[in-house]
Amino acid sequence: MSADVRDILDIDRANTPEITRDSFLATKKRNFERTKHASRRPEGMHREVFALLYTDKKDAPPLLPTDTALGIGAGYKQNKARLGMKKVRKWEWAPFSNPARNDAAVFHHWKRITDDSTDYPFAKFNKQLEIPSYTMTEYNAHLRNNIQNWSKVQTDHLFDLARRFDLRFIVMADRWNRQQHGIKTVEELKERYYEVISLLSKSKNQNQNQSSEKKTFVYDAEHERRRKEQLEKLFKRTIQQVEEEQMLINEMKKIEARKKERERKTQDLQKLISQADQQNEHAASTPSTRKYEKKLHKKKVHHQPRPSKVDSVVNAIEIGSSGIKFADLRGSGVSLRSQKMKLPANIGQRKVKALEQAIQEFKVDPGPPPTEDICTSFNELRSDMVLLCELRTALSTCIYEMESLKHQYEAACPGKTLNIPPSLVPIKSETLDNNAI
Amino acid sequence: MSGGTMLYGGDEIGALVFDPGHHSLRVGYAQEDSPKAEIPSVVGIGSSSGSNNSNNAPDTNLDPETKTDNNVTSNNADARKYYVDTNYVNVPRAQMEVQTYMKDGMIDNWELFEKVIDYAYANVIQSESEYHPVLFSEASWNVRNNREKLTELMFEKYNVPAFFLVKNAVLAAFSSGRATALVVDSGATHTSAVPVHEGYVLSQAVVKSPLGGDFLSRQCRQHLEKHNIDLSPVYKIASKDVVKERDNARFTLRKLPENLTSSWQNYMVQLMMQDFQMNVLQVLENPFDERVASQIPMVHYEFPNGYHQDFGSERFKIAESLFDNAMLGAGQLASTSVGMCDADVRLSLFGSVVVTGGNTLLQGFPERLNRDLQLRAPSNTRLKMISANGSVERRFGAWIGGSILASIGTFQQMWISSQEYEEAGKSQVERKCP
Repeated sequence: MSADVRDILDIDRANTPEITRDSFLATKKRNFERTKHASRRPEGMHREVFALLYTDKKDAPPLLPTDTALGIGAGYKQNKARLGMKKVRKWEWAPFSNPARNDAAVFHHWKRITDDSTDYPFAKFNKQLEIPSYTMTEYNAHLRNNIQNWSKVQTDHLFDLARRFDLRFIVMADRWNRQQHGIKTVEELKERYYEVISLLSKSKNQNQNQSSEKKTFVYDAEHERRRKEQLEKLFKRTIQQVEEEQMLINEMKKIEARKKERERKTQDLQKLISQADQQNEHAASTPSTRKYEKKLHKKKVHHQPRPSKVDSVVNAIEIGSSGIKFADLRGSGVSLRSQKMKLPANIGQRKVKALEQAIQEFKVDPGPPPTEDICTSFNELRSDMVLLCELRTALSTCIYEMESLKHQYEAACPGKTLNIPPSLVPIKSETLDNNAI
Repeated sequence: MSGGTMLYGGDEIGALVFDPGHHSLRVGYAQEDSPKAEIPSVVGIGSSSGSNNSNNAPDTNLDPETKTDNNVTSNNADARKYYVDTNYVNVPRAQMEVQTYMKDGMIDNWELFEKVIDYAYANVIQSESEYHPVLFSEASWNVRNNREKLTELMFEKYNVPAFFLVKNAVLAAFSSGRATALVVDSGATHTSAVPVHEGYVLSQAVVKSPLGGDFLSRQCRQHLEKHNIDLSPVYKIASKDVVKERDNARFTLRKLPENLTSSWQNYMVQLMMQDFQMNVLQVLENPFDERVASQIPMVHYEFPNGYHQDFGSERFKIAESLFDNAMLGAGQLASTSVGMCDADVRLSLFGSVVVTGGNTLLQGFPERLNRDLQLRAPSNTRLKMISANGSVERRFGAWIGGSILASIGTFQQMWISSQEYEEAGKSQVERKCP
């Protein structure tokens, strides 16, 4: 290097020998041999390159994972990790015919060459409703006379629409040919449709005397009409009406709250009065009796030195926290009656679990059809079930308490056994226990 | 067909989707996320002599490509020449009339429409029409005659293997992932509210008004002309100087061919107004109030001739006309439409109100509509507005819905195939495409 600089600057060449191919190779060889031992940077090698090969600490070269070592793909332990080793599967723009179509139209789509040409996979989604049809004689025999004065043409049109729109009655009413057949509401269409269906199935059953009678849907058009009317009214409420209703509801709530408040006050008052009476009695009683009472009291206190869980449980049940209070649906607007049967939100997870178990145990339908009667009875039943569960837990705590007392007693007075009066012995406690937990 | 593709139910068969509207015709392949091309729904018609003039005019320094005629539309037997697509229509040519083929949301001038379809196949699709099934969208109030004519055209002239026709409201609902929705579509010439129930339009409850983007453009133009603002579109201007705000514009006019038709000039001004209204106009969330409007920052706009100024409350006032009309306001339209439906479906309609159409990109449009509907909807209803965020999704809602529908595996049984057409004729479109 310095020789080059000298060359450029026209300074006399120092006494370094001129580099020829032979001399260069010779030095290289010599240097290489020397580096083997001393790992000094050979002349002519860049520092960076040298640093890559031999660092000061002579670290092992960094490890790099490879997937080509020892043959293709052998770098991985598991065969699954051999990615992209398979040959590419080709696709082709292939014709197909769709069995869901009525014609044999051929379309094209991309498909793997290797895939066998099975049926068009989407054809299986082609589901169609079964809508019965009737013949002219059937129509004349059963369907000609009807209260709403439907003609044959109208009925035909109805069934045609039913087939085209898969019984979407709202769309059917929309597409009903008003010019030819007059305006019909959704309810009228449904009424006629279900009437025809039930008449047809009846006549078929009569003809064939089949025992397996198909269930027909009874459509209560009158009820539906009234329901729609109510819904319509609900939608047409003005803001003022809504506000008025809300105001009335609030007022009612206020009145009820006031009523409750009054009741509570009278109860408090009565309590106070009775307490005062008792105190008067105490004051009036003679000292001897008082002493006796005191004694008794002491004894009692002695009897119950420790707080009993039983009391709290029993108290809780007596107070009436048990059972479920189902919410009154008094919100604005209409609601489904099945909402009545919904469990209120404030019930704990454990109660809900216990209730579910009880429902299973007694084999009750967990979601009965919500008629008015069923709603109330079902709610009462579930309330009772919760109570039952609570009583069971209370009973089991009582038994446990009694057992532990017995053991304590026996430990305290060895040799003696505590005779539990038969009235307190639990009956079939085991089964109850199992159920309660 | 492998398990992987079954997973999402898609099966693409190379179908094309056409979505004609008053502003433009959207064309593209099904299964793509946006149309390949948006062709303005106007066609320039020049007489043969007129086109010669424009060809000879050397001084219009426009892209030389645009000066040539559309090769597709040149018709030797016909003396007139037709210019389709922006690059050709927007060139100033003597005696070129501009005409739209749409009327009232439906295709009206079939001759011109065919020119556009020809152009689309030749320059956009660049493939033979007999290889691609075609899905067309249509207005919800399209008439039977029109539908049959379109079916006939596609099968007879273009030999398509299969054809299908869907209401654009249904497609817009599909593009938002709904089968039941109230579609509020505000386009160039119409704002319409169309209830869609389980994929079918409830045609008796369709409500529309003629207040759309073009109406706003006219309002803008009136307003600006009243304030003596020069509305010279870009084509007139050769150069312009930078001037101060509200100063008179200094610009030189470009040398133009003579005999420019008024229809074409109006069309160019309208394009300019569309730019103006999209940049400047805004709807307040509450009914127009001068005090509120004046507090909102002004918007600056520079016209093509270099004149520029700030626009304050007037930009709200103009846009307000879409909403404050007692009968035709967008909120009123939507609630009227729902009110005409069966009481059982109203809740679900209010539950998904799909907002689509290019005009809904007007700033504040969905918010205002939401507020207006909230006031009109019954108190116990849950109102939900669905409006795509991207401008492409909003403008091409119906096209995207068509793209989805035509590439679904279960849809492939619905097409009217050419065989069916030959057997049963064009009248089956009424049965097969509800």
